[in-house]
Amino acid sequence: MRVEREGPLLERLTRRLAETPPDFLDEPRIGKRGNVVVAALVHDLLRMHGHRATLDTLRRFESGDARRDRNRLALVQIGCWLLAGHWFIDAGIDAASLLARLDDDLRELAAVTPAHRFVQDADRREELARLLLARFGFRPEGETAEQATDRLSRISGTERQRLLDASREAEERARAIREALAKKAAEESADKWTRE
Amino acid sequence: MIEANDADRYPTLTEAGRRMLAQLREHPCAPIYRNRSGNRLTREDITALRGFEQRVLAATPGWPRQGRPDWLDGFVQRVFVEVPHYRALGSPPRDFTQLPVISRADLAADITRFVPDTLPLERLIQFSTTGTTGHPLLVPSHPQVAGRYLAFHKRALRRFGIEPQHGAGQVGVILLGHQRRCFTYVSVTPTMGESGLAKINLHPDDWHHPDDRARYLDAMAPEIVAGDPISFTELLRLPCRMRPRALMNVSMMLSGGLRAQLEQRFGCPVLDIYSMNEVGPIAVFDAAAGGHVLLQDRLYVEILDRDGQPVPPGQRGEVVVSGGFNFCLPLLRYRTGDHAALLHTVAGPVLSELAGRAPVRFRHADGHWLNNVDVSHALDHLPLAHYGLHQQADAALVLRLPAEAMHHAAAARQALHELLGNLPLTLRPIEEDDKIMQYSSDLEGQP
Repeated sequence: MRVEREGPLLERLTRRLAETPPDFLDEPRIGKRGNVVVAALVHDLLRMHGHRATLDTLRRFESGDARRDRNRLALVQIGCWLLAGHWFIDAGIDAASLLARLDDDLRELAAVTPAHRFVQDADRREELARLLLARFGFRPEGETAEQATDRLSRISGTERQRLLDASREAEERARAIREALAKKAAEESADKWTRE
Repeated sequence: MIEANDADRYPTLTEAGRRMLAQLREHPCAPIYRNRSGNRLTREDITALRGFEQRVLAATPGWPRQGRPDWLDGFVQRVFVEVPHYRALGSPPRDFTQLPVISRADLAADITRFVPDTLPLERLIQFSTTGTTGHPLLVPSHPQVAGRYLAFHKRALRRFGIEPQHGAGQVGVILLGHQRRCFTYVSVTPTMGESGLAKINLHPDDWHHPDDRARYLDAMAPEIVAGDPISFTELLRLPCRMRPRALMNVSMMLSGGLRAQLEQRFGCPVLDIYSMNEVGPIAVFDAAAGGHVLLQDRLYVEILDRDGQPVPPGQRGEVVVSGGFNFCLPLLRYRTGDHAALLHTVAGPVLSELAGRAPVRFRHADGHWLNNVDVSHALDHLPLAHYGLHQQADAALVLRLPAEAMHHAAAARQALHELLGNLPLTLRPIEEDDKIMQYSSDLEGQP
C-alpha cells in the first residue's frame, strides 16, 4: 500500500467517527425491515464527491438477507458518514475508488467486527480511519509513510489475529455442542412435569 | 456413547425416593416401562430451583400496554454478545422491532449457533421434536431448565386455586401418552419431597393386561395428571376412580366438549396449557380472563403479521416470543407458528383466540369466507380429541375424525352445515398415529 501523500490529522477522522449522528447508526433497510436505504446513501455520497453511480453499482448496497448483509450495510452507513467529511470531499477521490472502499474493504471489516464498534471503540475508530486513508494512498498528518504503514498493520493485525482465534474457537465450540447433544445421556433428557 | 446410570439420573435419591421408584416400577399392574430418565438434579440445582420458583410465583408477567418489559434491552445486549447467530448480525439494533425474526427452520439448520458461548456443556441434555412443519429439531436444555417447568405449572394451578401438596410416599404427577411408541419412565421430584413422577403410555401394547391401566392409575392416585386430547380421550374410556386435583392438557388444543367431559368425570379443573419444547409453558387458558394468560415473567410476546411487522393492538397474527427460561437457548423474536391476538387485561397479557399454525379460510356455499376459528367454535361442543377439515378446490369438504369418534359425525356434519352452508362433505377416519393438519384448503383466494 503506497501512502505517499499526506492526509489530515488522524484525530480529525476518529473524532468524526465518534460523533457519527444517530441517523447513520439506524437500522439498514433489508427486505421490508429497517429505515436507512443504504443504496440511496451511497448515491448521495457519490454525488457529493461529484460522481454518479449506476443502478447496477448501487444494487451492491441492497439486500434481503439480514444474516449475510446487516452488519456490512450498517458499516457502509458509517463509512458514508466518514467519507462525507470535508477533507475527503476536497481530496478529489474518483468514484471507482470510493466504491471499492465501501464495497470491498468494509465488507472485509464487517465480516468480523460489529459495525457500531467502529464508532464506540477507540481502537476500531483508529483502524477504520487509518485503513480508508491508506487505501486512498494517504498517511495521517505528522506521520512518515513507514510509521503509518506500521501502525495500520499493527492495529488491524492484532484484531485480525483475535478474530482468527475466535473463528477457530467457534468451530471447536459448535463441534463440542453437537457432541454433547449426541450423547446417549443427553438423549435421555430429564423430568418435566409436562411433555410437549 | 456414554450411558447414564441411576446415580446420574437421581443424584440426590434418598431411601424414600428409592421406595417411590420401586412402587412405580414394581406395582403388580405397572406398565412395561420402555426407557429410563431422571431429574438429574444436584443439591445445588435443587436450591437454585427453590429460589427460581419463589421468584416466579412472586412475579407478575406482563409489560406496559405501550411499552416493553424492562429486562428486554439488557437481554438483547447480552444475546448479541454471547450467541453466535446474533453476534454475526453485528451490533444490536437501537429499535427492538428492527430485529430480524427467526423460525424453527433457522434453529433446525444449525442449533449450535443459538447456544450461548458462556454455557458449560457437561450437563447439556436435549428434547427432540418432530413438529408438523417438517423441521425436526433438537432443543438443547439442562436439568435445571426441565425442573423449572414446575414453577410455571404451579403458577397455572394457583390460578385455579390449587397448590400441589404431594410429597414423600405420594405420586405427584403422571404424564399420559397414547401412541404406538412412547418414551416412558419413572422418576421422583426432589423439590416436592421426592413425590413420584411417571410417564406412561395408555396404548394396550405397553401393558401386561389392558385392565391394568385403570388399576395402576387408581393405585398410584396421582395429584396431577398431564396429557393431551388423545390420551385424555383414552383415559375417559377407562373405568378409573382416581381423583386427581387437576388435569393439565399440553401439546394440542383442547375442545370445550372434551374439557367438559373430563371435568365432569374427574371432578377437577382441566388446565389447557400452551407450551412448546423451545419455550416451555407459555400460557394457561382461563375463560374468565378471555383466553390464555401468560405464565412467564421473562417472556415477551409480540403478535406479528406475515411480513414480521407488528399488527394493530387486538388483531390476530403470529405469536412471536423473546426471552424465556431456557438459558441454553435464549430466543429473540422466535416465530412460534401459532396465531392469536394479544389483549392487555387486568389479569395481564392474554392470548385470545389462540390457534396453531397459520389461519385457513373456508368458503361458505354462498361464496363468503370464514376463518378457521369459526370452525373451531362450531365444533367446540363436541368432545373430539382432534380432527381435520379440508376444503377441496371444488369447495367440497373432507372431515376427518378419529375412528372411535365416528358417533359424533352426524353432529359435526350438522354444525358444519350450519356454519358453511350446503357443501358436499365426505367423512374419513384418522388412522392411529396419523399426524394431521387440523385445517387445510386447496381453494384459491386464500389470504
